[in-house]
Amino acid sequence: MLQIAGIDVGGTHVDGVILLGGKILAKEKVDADQQNLVESIISLLRKLVATPSLQPDQIHLSTTLCTNAIVNGALDEVGMIIQAGPGLNPSFLRCGDHVFFSDGAIDHRGHVVKKPDESLLAEAKKHFRDCGLDSIGVVTKFSHRNPVHERMIADNMVDSFSHISMGHRMSGLPNFPRRVYTTWINSGLQSRFDSFRKAILSGFAKLGLNCPCFILKADGGTMPFDLGARLPCETVHSGPSASVMGGLALAPVDDDAILLDIGGTTTDIALLAQGVPLFEPYGVTIAGRPTLIRALNTRSVGLGGDSTVAYRDNEFVIGPGRVGPPMAFGGVVPTPTDAMIVLGQLPGGSREKARQAMTALVGDQSPVHTAKQLLETFCGQLHRAVEQMVEEVFSRPVYTVSALLGRKRLEPAELIVVGGPASAMKNCLGENFKIPVTVPEHFEVANAIGAARTRPTMQATLFADTSEKILSIAEIGHREKIHNGYTMKDAEKRLTQVITSLARECGMGDLSDIEFIERQELNTVSGFYTTGKILSLKAQLMPGLNKI
Amino acid sequence: MKCMPQAKCSTGLILFPAFDWCISPTHPEREERLLYTKDQLIEEGLEDIENIQFFNPELADYRDIDRVHLCVPSAQNLLTDSHLISAGGAIRAARAVMEKDVEKSFAIVRPPGHHAMQTVFGDRGFCVVNIEAVMVEYIRKHYGVKKIAIIDTDCHHGDGTQDIFYNDPDTLFVSLHQDGRTLYPGSGFLGEKGGPAASGYTINLPLPPNTSEEGFDTVMERVILPMLEEFKPELIINSAGQDNHYTDPLTNMNFTAQGYARLNRLLSPDICVLEGGYSIEGALPYTNLGIILAMAGMDTSHVKEPDYYPGKFRQSSEVNRHIETICDQAMQLFRNRTGTATGKTAERTVMDRKRIFYDTAGFMVDETKIYHLCPECPGYTEIEASGNNTDLRAFCVPFNGCRSCQTRARDHFQRAPGGTSRRMVVLQDRIDDIYEVK
Repeated sequence: MLQIAGIDVGGTHVDGVILLGGKILAKEKVDADQQNLVESIISLLRKLVATPSLQPDQIHLSTTLCTNAIVNGALDEVGMIIQAGPGLNPSFLRCGDHVFFSDGAIDHRGHVVKKPDESLLAEAKKHFRDCGLDSIGVVTKFSHRNPVHERMIADNMVDSFSHISMGHRMSGLPNFPRRVYTTWINSGLQSRFDSFRKAILSGFAKLGLNCPCFILKADGGTMPFDLGARLPCETVHSGPSASVMGGLALAPVDDDAILLDIGGTTTDIALLAQGVPLFEPYGVTIAGRPTLIRALNTRSVGLGGDSTVAYRDNEFVIGPGRVGPPMAFGGVVPTPTDAMIVLGQLPGGSREKARQAMTALVGDQSPVHTAKQLLETFCGQLHRAVEQMVEEVFSRPVYTVSALLGRKRLEPAELIVVGGPASAMKNCLGENFKIPVTVPEHFEVANAIGAARTRPTMQATLFADTSEKILSIAEIGHREKIHNGYTMKDAEKRLTQVITSLARECGMGDLSDIEFIERQELNTVSGFYTTGKILSLKAQLMPGLNKI
Repeated sequence: MKCMPQAKCSTGLILFPAFDWCISPTHPEREERLLYTKDQLIEEGLEDIENIQFFNPELADYRDIDRVHLCVPSAQNLLTDSHLISAGGAIRAARAVMEKDVEKSFAIVRPPGHHAMQTVFGDRGFCVVNIEAVMVEYIRKHYGVKKIAIIDTDCHHGDGTQDIFYNDPDTLFVSLHQDGRTLYPGSGFLGEKGGPAASGYTINLPLPPNTSEEGFDTVMERVILPMLEEFKPELIINSAGQDNHYTDPLTNMNFTAQGYARLNRLLSPDICVLEGGYSIEGALPYTNLGIILAMAGMDTSHVKEPDYYPGKFRQSSEVNRHIETICDQAMQLFRNRTGTATGKTAERTVMDRKRIFYDTAGFMVDETKIYHLCPECPGYTEIEASGNNTDLRAFCVPFNGCRSCQTRARDHFQRAPGGTSRRMVVLQDRIDDIYEVK
């Protein structure tokens, strides 16, 4: 059995575990220095492997590196070439100061309508070079159907720049603005991720570790560190995804369920459909930009143990911000944590100060009463946020009669809670949600456990048009000729090959879990005769836990 | 920082291509019809635009159908789930507007409905249920709206919608379409101007083949906008067929995506409902996008078919003059409109006969409508129809009918001999929302 190290870089701490199967061999925590993540990670790992018998065979790392860079506006300057074709006026696309709109177009069936003007491209190239840019992003509308213009432009640039990201390699999904933002973000992260990876690997080497290293993605899976260098954007939001996978590892369920990670300032909510976490329909939205970065459907609400609380018009106003520590720990503003301390549900802190906090909120009743009311309000607000999320999932657009008639609303039968205040909130949450609540053991290192237990995920999207005799698989930039009798069975076989070879690159053997989704097969008719079929099919490896 | 554009006017979309429903595999009304439209709209990222909201359709209730139609033998028998969803999509669009979730909405659903008349014996012109009419009566029933204008911009005459609202002075129905002498269903001439209680409230504008942007602009400026200005509807509905497009395989017009966008910007409909449009690859992705962006108050200047350039189609001066004449005549009809059957006695009736061809299955229905006039209201209507081996006799009370007409219609229904297996007798009372078969 393999020893796997799971490391999760959070906002304040870096947590780590070494697992042997489901067993925790070691767990450690160090402060996170966001300015020097490499140092924090290496020092944590040094502590983890201090015992000679602990020698991980694999390291899984979840890091805030890319999320921070995006949120802090620290992306590299990128030269963007965008071909929008007919449709929305593309001038809204904000990708820094070096955006060139190319002419030419590809239509919805992947037909080339008009080639881009090469003299304009040469002008763009010169401008990018004059500005000293090193990262380029190239995106065309409908490149998931036909990447020919993206490739042509990239080929034109490749001799002059170190990093080139093409839209179709980011995702096989439609949505042009998201493809543009994803490509821009990816391009702007490449050099940063590259140096991070080199520093980490050299740190590992100094500790005598040269085992395979995987990096966590927003979709609840991992990818090899090397692949991360090509697709660094996929590593954003890996914290919430580690938390979801940790919750799953610590408290497996088969039913529809809710996962709450209650932190100091926010609570992250995730939904499970028959034990499987749900995805965002397209991808995560980060720093206001919608993307195609595949991600688990999590939502962060501004309700945490240390949220500020006020009492206005006979109601508690909780969050969304945090001013400082709870009053019981020397703060100046009442918080839900103070209420938990008053009720004796959380150890530590000054109970007297916590009572004062409750009295400061409502003067004319007992602190215990106020504390109860405050926590009920807290749970009520979480409940409403969960219900809203369930409704949104139910309302996602469907396009077939059978899908519309077959829609089912999630009916959560269990609530899994992790995070600092989890135990203290257990009863109150149970009363409010009226379903069983589980607070798993070791929940304080749920993210690190989630990181350690997670396995690679991947997806590939096939689009075939038998009347045009063309097949394309965007994620690997593949396009081939097919015969006009090509069928859905052939498509399944082809995608299985693609996923299998991608998985081999990730060092995976067992592939029992290839899942085909979003199957669509439509006849194309010209005049009144059927001329062929349009097939589309997506295959994926679902996020899941390594078998133990 | 804004990273996505914002719709100036919040707009709801019910995008339901029904990829698993068709009339037959190579019929124009087939699974693939909205495939490229959906691909275009999703690729444009409309789902992420602030103030554009997507809704799933709901299933219309049979009650919603029976409020409008007289289905032979029954709605349950004639309609598939797809028809209920298509009508339910229009209803969802209306609810989104009426409940102020959004300011405007567009039901991009199929199958279409504007050839479905009040009596329904089967599928005609790809339509079984008139989804606009079902929506209009739903709005009236649930939200108390009275005056509604329906502007039908499909290339085919909206004969079903015309039939349903023919004697209703609270519905202004305007259809602009390719001249019926050159296209299905062969009707929609100026002389079809409304029933005895609503003369001048049905306006047909038969346009000559090859009418282009210029011609539609003329119709908008000279007829439609002035009429709306005068009629002052509480709601404007666009039956947004898109087969006036220059690439449509079934028609002979020269309209464009830019033209459709401009028309909708001028018309500013509260609700659009997709009708026909069978150039599924070369037109619909662009025309639908143009209409949506125009409704949402967004920039449409980049919405162009790949082979379009301004001035691609020019009308001859002869066509211009012809259209101008039609516009003048239509305005004249509207100016001379008469609300109720003024001056006529309560006993008088007016009879209207027609033969209705059901093209999909290929049979004829003979129909007689007897309008029972009333000085107070549009009066109730008695209908006799027979075809496809079944007879129908019905008594219909309009939503804006008076109590005494309602009583008369009920008495008439009670007195009528009961139905048999080959003969249906129906009371359709829109005042109290009753549908009774005996």
